[in-house]
Amino acid sequence: MGTGLALLYSVYWEASPDGVLKMKPSLVTGALTGLLLFGGLPAAGETPPPLLRSGDRIVLVGNTLLERARLYGHLETTLQIAAGPTVKGITLRNLGWSGDSVFGDARSYFGPPSEGRERLATALGETKPNVVLLCYGTGAAMSVDQGWTRESDHANTSAAGYEASRELFLNGYQALLERVRAASGEGLREIVLIAPPPLENLGKPLPDQVKNNRRLAGFRDGIRELAKKNSLRFVDLFAALGGDDFRGEVANPALTEDGVHHGEAGHHLIARELAKGLGYSESVLPDRDLPAREELRAAVIEKDRLFFHRWRPANETYLFLFRKHEQGRNAKEIPQFDPLIAAQEKKIEEARAVVFAGMPKN
Amino acid sequence: MTRPKFPLIATVLTITSLSPVAAQNGLRDIPDTAVEAQLAAFQLIEGAKINLYASEPAVSSPTHMNWDSKGRLWVLNSPLYPHIQPGQEEKDSLVILEDTDGNGVADKHTVFADNLHIPTAVLPGDGGAYVANSVEVLFLRDNDGDGKADERRVILSGFGTEDTHHLLHTFRWGPEGMLWMNQSIYIHTHLETPYGVRRLLGGGMWHYRPETRRAEVFMKGLVNPWGHAFDTWGQSFMTDGAGGQGIHFVFPRSVFMTSPGATRILSGLNPGQPKHCGLEFLTGRHIPDALQDALAAPDFRGNRINLFQLSDKGSAYTSTQIDDLVSSRHGAFRPIDVKMGPDGAIYVADWYNPIIQHGEVDFRDPRRDHTHGRIWRITFEGRDLVKKPDIGNATEPELIQHFNAPEGWTRNAAAVELRSRNAESVEAALKSASAPAGVAPDLFALRKVWASQTIQRFVPDEAVALLSSDNHKIRAAALRAMYYHAAEIPEALAVAEKAVAAPHPQVRLWAVSVLAQLDSPDTVEIALRALDGIEADEFLDFAVWSICREHADRWKPAVTTGNPFSGPRQLLYAVRALNEAIGVDAILAALESGELSTDQDIAQIADWLSKVGSAADLERLFAFALREGTAPAQQHTVLAVLDSAAKLRKLQPTGDTARLTRFLQSPDPGTFASAASLAGLWKLEAARENLETAFLDAPKDTARARAALDGLIALGGPATATLFDKTAADQAAPFLLRSLAVIGRTRMNPKAGATLALPVLAEAPNGTDPHGIYDAFLATKQGPDALAAALAEATLPQPIALVGMNKAQSAATRPEALVAALQKAGDIQPMKTSLSPEEMEAVMKQVAENGDAKRGEAIYRRAALQCVVCHAIGGAGGVIGPDLVSIGASAPVDYLVDSLLEPSKKIKEGYHTALVTLKNGDAFAGAIAREDANEIVVRDAAGQENRLPKTEIAGQQISPESLMPPGLTASLREDEFIHLVRFLAELGKDGPYKTPTNRFMRQWQALMPHPSTRDRIGHYGSKIFTEDVPDYQWTPLYATVAGALPIAELPEVEGRGKNRLGVLRTFLDVKSAGPMKVKLTGKLSGLQLFLDDEEITLPGEGSETELVLEWNEPGKRKLTLVGVKDQGLDSISLELLEDATKAGLVELRDF
Repeated sequence: MGTGLALLYSVYWEASPDGVLKMKPSLVTGALTGLLLFGGLPAAGETPPPLLRSGDRIVLVGNTLLERARLYGHLETTLQIAAGPTVKGITLRNLGWSGDSVFGDARSYFGPPSEGRERLATALGETKPNVVLLCYGTGAAMSVDQGWTRESDHANTSAAGYEASRELFLNGYQALLERVRAASGEGLREIVLIAPPPLENLGKPLPDQVKNNRRLAGFRDGIRELAKKNSLRFVDLFAALGGDDFRGEVANPALTEDGVHHGEAGHHLIARELAKGLGYSESVLPDRDLPAREELRAAVIEKDRLFFHRWRPANETYLFLFRKHEQGRNAKEIPQFDPLIAAQEKKIEEARAVVFAGMPKN
Repeated sequence: MTRPKFPLIATVLTITSLSPVAAQNGLRDIPDTAVEAQLAAFQLIEGAKINLYASEPAVSSPTHMNWDSKGRLWVLNSPLYPHIQPGQEEKDSLVILEDTDGNGVADKHTVFADNLHIPTAVLPGDGGAYVANSVEVLFLRDNDGDGKADERRVILSGFGTEDTHHLLHTFRWGPEGMLWMNQSIYIHTHLETPYGVRRLLGGGMWHYRPETRRAEVFMKGLVNPWGHAFDTWGQSFMTDGAGGQGIHFVFPRSVFMTSPGATRILSGLNPGQPKHCGLEFLTGRHIPDALQDALAAPDFRGNRINLFQLSDKGSAYTSTQIDDLVSSRHGAFRPIDVKMGPDGAIYVADWYNPIIQHGEVDFRDPRRDHTHGRIWRITFEGRDLVKKPDIGNATEPELIQHFNAPEGWTRNAAAVELRSRNAESVEAALKSASAPAGVAPDLFALRKVWASQTIQRFVPDEAVALLSSDNHKIRAAALRAMYYHAAEIPEALAVAEKAVAAPHPQVRLWAVSVLAQLDSPDTVEIALRALDGIEADEFLDFAVWSICREHADRWKPAVTTGNPFSGPRQLLYAVRALNEAIGVDAILAALESGELSTDQDIAQIADWLSKVGSAADLERLFAFALREGTAPAQQHTVLAVLDSAAKLRKLQPTGDTARLTRFLQSPDPGTFASAASLAGLWKLEAARENLETAFLDAPKDTARARAALDGLIALGGPATATLFDKTAADQAAPFLLRSLAVIGRTRMNPKAGATLALPVLAEAPNGTDPHGIYDAFLATKQGPDALAAALAEATLPQPIALVGMNKAQSAATRPEALVAALQKAGDIQPMKTSLSPEEMEAVMKQVAENGDAKRGEAIYRRAALQCVVCHAIGGAGGVIGPDLVSIGASAPVDYLVDSLLEPSKKIKEGYHTALVTLKNGDAFAGAIAREDANEIVVRDAAGQENRLPKTEIAGQQISPESLMPPGLTASLREDEFIHLVRFLAELGKDGPYKTPTNRFMRQWQALMPHPSTRDRIGHYGSKIFTEDVPDYQWTPLYATVAGALPIAELPEVEGRGKNRLGVLRTFLDVKSAGPMKVKLTGKLSGLQLFLDDEEITLPGEGSETELVLEWNEPGKRKLTLVGVKDQGLDSISLELLEDATKAGLVELRDF
């Protein structure tokens, strides 16, 4: 099955007139690929085909949820293991950014959100991903009635209420998808849209999140439609973490620190649910506490720490922005993180091999 | 010296052999790192002594400190600052220091965490500590009791990485139990909170409640708000590490300098003061009475800690600087935090570094110190220390009684301890507690309200009850307590409605702040009442202005059907705040009926309509100006705004424009100028003759001629061109008139102007361009190229060519072709502006060995160098560039040299130039003074404000070029350059070039020579100088660092006989009537002093005298000094001898 799919992919991509940049399937192959590969919407209970292949460069794009994934390492660790021993040399770059929106608000530094989108495009151009995992929606759903992007018209519209906010969000998401495709280069094989997990109630004095979750469910539906429209894989973390069953009960045990942001256990669960959503069986995933897995996870965390200094270095203003004439000479240090990251990736691969070596072979 | 040159480099090259190894330039200046060396260099305020509490290796490069309720000092060390190196571990640390035997020296230290990355704030509490760790806030806790944190949780993330000295900082517990935290100018924060996304772009302050996880922005702006302290009543004060306005009073939604997109900003209480890191109120029994409640603010650049005293003023305060707490001659003493300790002593965190900053000085500069760090302890002779309270073991009732301690430390520690106690027990203890004797019951009640907020058991009624206190500070504090919960308090609206009419403006300010939190449709109508019956100061006014804008959607719809407010003045206020064309009919009707009739009303209406009104609105305004009985001042006001409407919006009144001509007869210079400009803009040919006459009359009345020039240019056409051509070419015409003609022609057609310009420039007197011929070329898009083309085959005298080069090099567009052409035409040797390491080494050696700061100051003050035009020293001087008050103490010599030679190489934060390009190609460089929906105001290098309509703007960017032109020092000889650098290098260091805290009058105006002075003094005596004679021109003059005015620098004014006079004046804002002692220094026999128009009798001889000036009433007062030159009078100074307890009686007027 795996071989067949791979063949199908390559046939499809080679047949595509302008390479992978446009993911609209042709008339002939469309029905087939749409159904098998991109729909991401296998009928209930059906498992989607596994996502990852040897040498894949995975990029995460999203807000606080993904940015903080680097602190816990579960997400990459789980994907590295789920991919299985025959798939090798996977790398992951976390471009998540706290507080970001589909408009790039948080990435913009001194400029308008358009500069944030530009910065993301540049980073994608440099990382040349094969697979991009996108996760947005929580910030937008929570900011209904509040206005949530600086481009003035958007703020006015989003402040207007739920419907307008949702529409604005989805339009922005569509534009982001097109930007991601254009910026990632020819190697891009798949974009995955992830619906964010639900918010939790932690009891007083923290706020009740029933309303926000109801809104988030609506955003989730929109993201699913968006994935369908664009023939993209879709993973519903909202449903997987119980968002559809939420009635306002206080979480026990809590997976989040504050109702919004997941802690270590939460990130572990999210990673497993994501892997399932991407076509992997839970049965291949080892125990959370398996020492070899912890080794792998530590290596992942260290790699992400180094990468953070590489891609969002402190003193950005002096190194790359409008004061670079003063300290720009020190920017030469920043690429010196590359060999350190590469060395760390080797450690990840080694740690991965140790995990597989200790696992029962099927 | 006629040939300007730059001999410095040649000389430097000859002496480089002295120092073959230059890579470590300046390393020889590294101060002795021994503790004894620092101890020997301290100077302390009277009665104080200092001892070392802790030092390296426990403390190294400390960035922040706070006490826990056990009396242990938590200190962050960041040797990693300013930037982690590839391969370096994140191992900055958090240490806990303890003085277990109570001898004032830490004898135990525990490393609580050693895995941090440039941490910049720590706050113990809740059984652990909150730490700002670059992009995130961590909570660290030790669960297994080994003294080291084993739990690490991310509490908040999304703080930017733009600059490591701007990262989240200045954590402090508020009296209400919230964590307060600040961020600096470059940081862009995006937080996803359980209440939605919160963003803060640029500097500002947050409050965060750990229990509810609610983070909200409190105020915005400031460059580096590195200090925040609460006074006894919970009001917030802040300092700024780069803004230079001393203490800032802040309140909700207040906005200060550099806040992105701000249309209006507030200023600090001490303009021109040094920049600070940290802030603490000195309280408690160990502190001498005279220093009680003083604010201690470390001036890390100047190696000292400043003190300020506050006194009430309106809704805010005045702040007066008093003697320094401590200062040091040791260049590595960098006090960056100051906190009162549990024993009543003052503790100072000394970052210890010979160099600071990392924007200007290389990240990897070897002179950076990454190993040392000191905590100092200051105590007072003859005053008992405070017995360290046992907070940890106190019962809840005991903790509550600690609220009454005279020591702020104890009160705060008790409040923080409550966080870890059982809320029910605390609540019960609060219910039964009553104020002990000697403590005001309402103050104690306020503290109980705060405690109930801390434990999440706030009872709004208890805050409401405090509004009947007869102390306005209690009432304001009660409103502040309600502010955070206002939306959940049903009676908040009624309470605020009552409080907006309170007698005290500070209560009104907080009532408006509460209103801003509410959903009621009536918030603005109520808030506007806060302006009734009092003259609102800028802080209260800001609060009302702010709510008018924030809640605009609530009142705007009602304006279409009428006035939703109580009168037209309220409506005018609100629509002006919004800057929109709504309610125009109602306002104009009130103007026409006389309901709005004061000069201020008219000025406000006119200004507003000039920005947003229609042509028909302008017609009604014009008709008002033409109406019988409209006062001349009001006519002028209207014409001036019609002028700006014509220029900025190309709008003019709908009726007959010829009605304007009557104003061209006006003797009032302002009215004439506006009318002349309008005549041109409205293309009113009927005015041409009037304008030509005024233009040709230039030698008699230059101001009028310049106004006519503007009108003629705008009027344009062949007639104007011919007039300018003829006049410019007329060799018999005065230089002034020919210059103006060239300027006029250039602005019409730069190419035609260029041909005319060369012969006139060649005749420029003394190598100056007094009328601005070059400026005319630089102001137009084609001008520089046109002049460059005309210069292609021409020559110019060197001095005037050099003037042109200086101006061209500071122009927004940096016209390279023109610079090259001027260089060639003037045969100017190319200047070398960057030095090799060897050359730099040699210059630094020269500065150290031969530099003379006194001569340097005189050079600094030379008009030709233009230093004072843009830079202030301690507030005296221009505002274009950074205040240099402590530049020598903060910047290494090589940095100073680089900055003089290559200004664009190092640009201070907050002083970056914005480059705004218009669609027509004109470019404006400068600081964004303010901005609203319609226009951006750019303040250029000349201090000129340029209003640029947004519709005309093609592009806007942060320019990599400094506003300071390169080559300003090119005219200096080498020795002069060396002296100038030495002077700058001494600024702020302990010694004669540290701005003294004495209240010298520093901002003066000097009278320019005028042909009539001799006659008029003959008729009226020196008193004539106290009058506002319209054709007298006054130029700003600033005192030296020592506070003096060198008489030789004054323009020479003709007096009786052969007398040559220097005439000076300054203004004071007098707060309350009464006597004020001043000290006048200077040879008294040659001096006359006037208070307003009354002469103060001086002793006939002597060189100084103390006088008592009587202020009969508050308001603006003028002091005029007349000195006879060349009779032994070298310098004058005037100092206010002010008792600190009388602080705020008077202040300098910003003129």
